[in-house]
Amino acid sequence: MADATMEARVTEVSVSAQRRAAPIVPERSVAGRTLVLLIAIMTFLSGVTLGGVVLVQKSAIAWSTDVGREVTIQLRPIEGEVMDSNIRTAIALAEATPGVTGAHAISLEGSQKLLEPWLGTGLDLSTLDIPRLVVVELGDPTDVDLSMLERDLAAIKGASLDTHSAWRQQLNVMAGTIVLSGVLVLALIVLATVLAVVFATRGTMASNREIVDVLHFIGASNSFIAGEFQGRFLSLGFRGGLVGGIGAVLFFLAVAGVSGSIVPNEANAQLNFLFGRFALGLDGIAGIAAVVPVIAALTAITSRLTVRRFLSQTS
Amino acid sequence: MIEFSNVGLRYGHGPEILRDLSFNIEPGSFHFLTGPSGSGKTSLLKLLLLSLKPSRGTLHMFGRDVMSLDQDALLEMRRHIGIVFQEFRLLDHLTTFENVALPLRVLGQPESAYRDNVTELLEWVGLGERMEALPPLLSGGEKQRAAIARAVIGRPDILLADEPTGNVDPELSLRLVRLFAELNKLGTTIILATHELPLLDSFAFPRMVLRDGEIRIDG
Repeated sequence: MADATMEARVTEVSVSAQRRAAPIVPERSVAGRTLVLLIAIMTFLSGVTLGGVVLVQKSAIAWSTDVGREVTIQLRPIEGEVMDSNIRTAIALAEATPGVTGAHAISLEGSQKLLEPWLGTGLDLSTLDIPRLVVVELGDPTDVDLSMLERDLAAIKGASLDTHSAWRQQLNVMAGTIVLSGVLVLALIVLATVLAVVFATRGTMASNREIVDVLHFIGASNSFIAGEFQGRFLSLGFRGGLVGGIGAVLFFLAVAGVSGSIVPNEANAQLNFLFGRFALGLDGIAGIAAVVPVIAALTAITSRLTVRRFLSQTS
Repeated sequence: MIEFSNVGLRYGHGPEILRDLSFNIEPGSFHFLTGPSGSGKTSLLKLLLLSLKPSRGTLHMFGRDVMSLDQDALLEMRRHIGIVFQEFRLLDHLTTFENVALPLRVLGQPESAYRDNVTELLEWVGLGERMEALPPLLSGGEKQRAAIARAVIGRPDILLADEPTGNVDPELSLRLVRLFAELNKLGTTIILATHELPLLDSFAFPRMVLRDGEIRIDG
């Protein structure tokens, strides 16, 4: 009989040994759901902001690079000048410039087509003297002496060189402003998250005062107590961050899908050409994924510092 | 082991709660701490638990001047002192086993290192069958025995008890004090605060009587 009782106890102890010890700070004592939701929203907003910034920057860089690889020679019709001859001269001068990989003139039909968005279709433009364009392709935009080309072109009456620098500068300023705004919004979101976690931690500490006191009485260090709370908040931060991060990625996938299906293919192609595709790419998704552990770590560190401060004030 | 010399205690700028306390507690002794409500028993226990420092005088514990110790040294010293409260102060979401093992867990010991000791101690205090029960399911006596087990699992040199029998019936009170006496026989220095005269009369241990912030030691 005694042996049976002992055996039962051993079994009970073995069972309890296999069970993971309950957390010292109970999960339900932390304002868990509310905090997870709040962190999820903050992570979503961070992810959307970050993704937006990445999209704008990628498009601006791509557009600027494309535009930067070409300059245009414009030849205005001038009485007494032979346009075809001037075009050939301009092409020759361009091709003789070091760093230029090629030059070609846009045909008359091509030039007329460029005017269609402004003048409409179906008009007879043959009576108008339309300026002609020569597209000059550059190898390395930084290694081309465009001032030399500009000087050479001065020999052709009515010729001028357009390097698109004003457009590129405007684009860079606009993209830079959007990126800066995004960074500012991210900083505000981080600040709001920190404040929310500080308040949540203080509330949790107040509602768990009994646990903190008991831990103090039995000889737990402030560091140990802070670690227990930090662990709880790290878990909440990670869960909230994961939900928000996945939400942000799904948002971009959905928007990319919707924009592709709503806008007609032709217009979509032009939009893609001008502004790039509305797709985050792997680097954008990786950026949003990186937000998740950052938010979780931020939550844990903030709660730890708040707890340490609380304990040092109350000890 | 404990030396009070002209110790006074006041909270903030208020009046002195304890005045000119001078006494020694020898290792392995058992003292009752008694006195009317408001006489300063709990404040004295807080001084002994190192939760408070004296406003004046000197307090030596384990041969060291408490006033000169920093937070880390106080924490280390506190680990040699166990405490039992009238209201048990068990954590309701942890099992009896986990509550008792808590002082070892906060030291970073793995469960495999303390499992046998905790189980043995719970058997010794009569809670061998209640290890997996949560405190709300325990009776008052069981809770207090669990609290005592938690206080002694770290093998403290000093065990303080603040009205440990306040929430149990007289018969169980006697049994609990006998349990403290057993621990004392094993070498633990005990200071047990109570204002229950029948309990004091049942044991021949010396009494520290606090009245109006001053102390007198009888016996």
